Amino acid sequence: MSLGVSPQSSGIATNIRQLIIDGKSKTALDNAKEFHKKQGSAESEILLIDAYLARIRALSDQNLVVEAKSLIALVRERFPSAKERLDNLNSAAAARGGDLDELLKPLNDPGLSAERRAAIEQVIQNQVTDLAALACCAALPPDHGLRQAAAAIDLAFGAVTSGPVTDQQIALPEVSHRSPLANWKLLIRAIACFYRNQDNACEDCLAAIRPESAPWRLVPAMRAMLEATPGAKLAAKPAVDLKPAEAALKSSTSGSLGELQRALADLDQAFAHAEQPAQVFKAVRAAVRECRQSAPDLLAELRRMVCIRGEVACLDTQRMIVALDGAPRRDAIFFRDLARALERTGDSEDLMRACECWDCFRQEAVREGWFAERGLEVAALYLHMAGLLGRMPAVLLREMQRTFGRAVPRESNYFYFPEELYARACLIDRHPDAFSQWLRWARGNSMVEAENVARAWSKALPDAVEPLLFLMEESEKRNAFPSALSYLNKAEQIDAVNSTVRAARLRLLAAAALQQLQKKKPNLAAQRLAEIGALPQSRQGDRPAFLDTLRCLICLVSGDQPGASQALLEVERVLGDGLAALIFISGCAASAKRKELVFLPLPGTLSEQQRSHLPASMARAIALAADIGLTRNFRLPIEYFDETEAQFPRISGSLKVEQIRLLGELGIVSEHPGLAWAASAAGLDRGGPTEAHFLLLRARALPEGLDDRYQALTAAAAELGRTQRDMEVVSRAVEAGRDFLDEDPLSLTADQAREVLRKEKASPDFPSRSSAGPDYSDLFLDDLCMCPACCAERGQSSDPDLDDIFDPGVPELDEDEMKRSFFEKAPKDIPREILPALFEVAKESFFSGEDPAEILSQIFLEAAPARKNAPGRKKKKGRRG
Amino acid sequence: MDANQILGVAANAGDEEIRAAYLSKVKEFPPDRAPAEFEKIRDAYEAMRDPRRRARAMFSAGESGAPLGSLIEGRGVPRIFAGPQPWREVLKNK
Repeated sequence: MSLGVSPQSSGIATNIRQLIIDGKSKTALDNAKEFHKKQGSAESEILLIDAYLARIRALSDQNLVVEAKSLIALVRERFPSAKERLDNLNSAAAARGGDLDELLKPLNDPGLSAERRAAIEQVIQNQVTDLAALACCAALPPDHGLRQAAAAIDLAFGAVTSGPVTDQQIALPEVSHRSPLANWKLLIRAIACFYRNQDNACEDCLAAIRPESAPWRLVPAMRAMLEATPGAKLAAKPAVDLKPAEAALKSSTSGSLGELQRALADLDQAFAHAEQPAQVFKAVRAAVRECRQSAPDLLAELRRMVCIRGEVACLDTQRMIVALDGAPRRDAIFFRDLARALERTGDSEDLMRACECWDCFRQEAVREGWFAERGLEVAALYLHMAGLLGRMPAVLLREMQRTFGRAVPRESNYFYFPEELYARACLIDRHPDAFSQWLRWARGNSMVEAENVARAWSKALPDAVEPLLFLMEESEKRNAFPSALSYLNKAEQIDAVNSTVRAARLRLLAAAALQQLQKKKPNLAAQRLAEIGALPQSRQGDRPAFLDTLRCLICLVSGDQPGASQALLEVERVLGDGLAALIFISGCAASAKRKELVFLPLPGTLSEQQRSHLPASMARAIALAADIGLTRNFRLPIEYFDETEAQFPRISGSLKVEQIRLLGELGIVSEHPGLAWAASAAGLDRGGPTEAHFLLLRARALPEGLDDRYQALTAAAAELGRTQRDMEVVSRAVEAGRDFLDEDPLSLTADQAREVLRKEKASPDFPSRSSAGPDYSDLFLDDLCMCPACCAERGQSSDPDLDDIFDPGVPELDEDEMKRSFFEKAPKDIPREILPALFEVAKESFFSGEDPAEILSQIFLEAAPARKNAPGRKKKKGRRG
Repeated sequence: MDANQILGVAANAGDEEIRAAYLSKVKEFPPDRAPAEFEKIRDAYEAMRDPRRRARAMFSAGESGAPLGSLIEGRGVPRIFAGPQPWREVLKNK
């Protein structure tokens, strides 16, 4: 009979094979028996044997080893052709039952076929889970590679599941990647990564394990265990149903952080009330205990963080170490974090302590190899430290330098001295930024020091133009024009196209010429005039009028009246405005301190037409003076400003925007806020890209006391400037806002800025007591006072926790300011060492309600002067004068 | 996010370590597939390459004054060493 020809038989055979594939081995075997009974062909016998083998594997998988072996014996007897396939199954079943001898014995046979060896190795890979048994298997010699590999894996498995391991412990060089035990190596690495919280690496190892291998049996459980960790690759995969053993594994390897979380929150709370150290130390002990139990890998970090907080809170270090059950490592990270924590308090003493910590950090970091002893990082660190000291009031810094640094030589406590830090930084890193920071600091200290820094900068970086310009400007301020010009010569050699350099020569020569006139040396002034005339830039715009002005003044000093008249006519011709010419010449004469040379009639004597034209004439003359750079001593009679202010509203429509801007600036510098205000109104009326400038001008012209409006105007100017890409206005507006509060200025959205602009355009009048202008309180909602009284006034309920803070009986203390005032007021005959102690007494008295001025007078035995703003109380924030 | 966090290196990492981290990140986020990520990575690398900027990042890393609870933020369930037995129990069952 033939199986292949009947479609019905073919369908039954296919059905049986499908049952085998589906794992329904019992049904498949029953059907195959029935089928073979009917067909009795060679094909049906093959199908029956396949069904038997599938059934044997299924029994073996269910650990029914005895049943599997009986069935093997039965099939071996009935179907001798299946001997080899049965041998493999028999070995596998034996191996599964723990009897490895039968499986491994053939490996001792030198003539073992490659197929048979591969089959045995496959059984080892897929079935063997008892590595200890494999390591001790008597069927193989003790030095057999398989036994040694199994022993090494068993040892590593025990270690990796019992505690932290090193990479060396799990290296397993005995197990090659071709070994049937290679998947165990991956499993052990996966477990190590799991305990090291390297979840992605763990998953990578798991993914590399062959699914048919014995170690893979742990993969589903491990993936389920990884799911508990946020960020793991498998976190998004759906959870699988775990078998009891897998669930037990997951449960036994999973802890909880709830208790540690609570202990840390308690510790934070205790630090918030650090005046009760006992409570802090108790909370520290609890947190350490809990950390050791549930997250031992965090213990070192916890110790460091807690110890740093203790140091900042000035808690007893020894008691803290006892509470922590060990001191943290005082390494670079410790000192860095401690320095950062001290910086954050902002307290002056802490800033100095922070500098000391940064120095310890530097030493440790160099020792630990973070950077070289004279690396650029060290220079950056010195600059950082100097910046910290720069945050302290200069008087207090000097006082504390004396207090801290008395006992030790300067070399050992260099970190308290900004000049030392800057010098060291610039020595290591000759970078313009470093010198620039040093110069900025020195300028705030003393000009002599600043000039020394600039010279050092110029020497270290001969191609740097900035220090030369600084030296030039300082010389110019001292009227030392020859020195200024010599610095300018050097600057021109380095960067002749620099805009500051280009503008400087005309300005310096003009000032030098005027100085010669002041010294009544017309010949030397004429030499300077010739030098100016040789400059191409002296022929641009209205500048020839300045040359004629100089000529006029030289003639006047020399007594050459006709020459002076001729030159005056030239000035008038160039400017096209006789009054503007006279104003300009008069201003130049004032710059040369020779006002008597030029007679400028009082405005009241001018014709009506000249008076109405006065704002334009003033603008023209002042624009030329500004263009030449003659702003320092360019003085005009006050009556001219008064008249300009009076005439301005009438003729503002005929002025150019640039003239309005100049007159506005003139109003500010001449302290005629009405003129500046009128200019801002006229400028805002014009609209366009200069609106930001005129808003800022209006802010500067505001009378004292209108703080909200000032902030709103500067903030709106900054925002509009940004929109109009006028970065000069932005920078000036931001600075003006910062000057006001000494902190980050108010910032507005574009819509808010436009609203401010709209309100200002609608309020052209100068503010008065009866009309202060637009209300901007809506821009300061975040700053509403939350004290109970203010809340009640606004109809809001206040937070009861705030009541204590706002208790009017508790004075507000600005300790830094009080300390500074205290040290300043201390008479020189009081020893400096006792000042800190006296200060503590003063502080306590302050808290007990005494007036700070009286406290100081009692302590220093001085009469207490009546002062508006007593030291120690925070002043009301207000605009600088 | 700080430059060193973007590159996944410590604030005190050396030149070689920074370069290796950069190359590894570029492999992970190549410019043609993840241009925005690549941009961030390149900017971070530029910042870390400059020793002065790197130094400033080094000084501002670490302690941020956050509550101590932040120490365990983002951590999953702590993992307990339970010994080999529960693991072997799973291996026994296919």
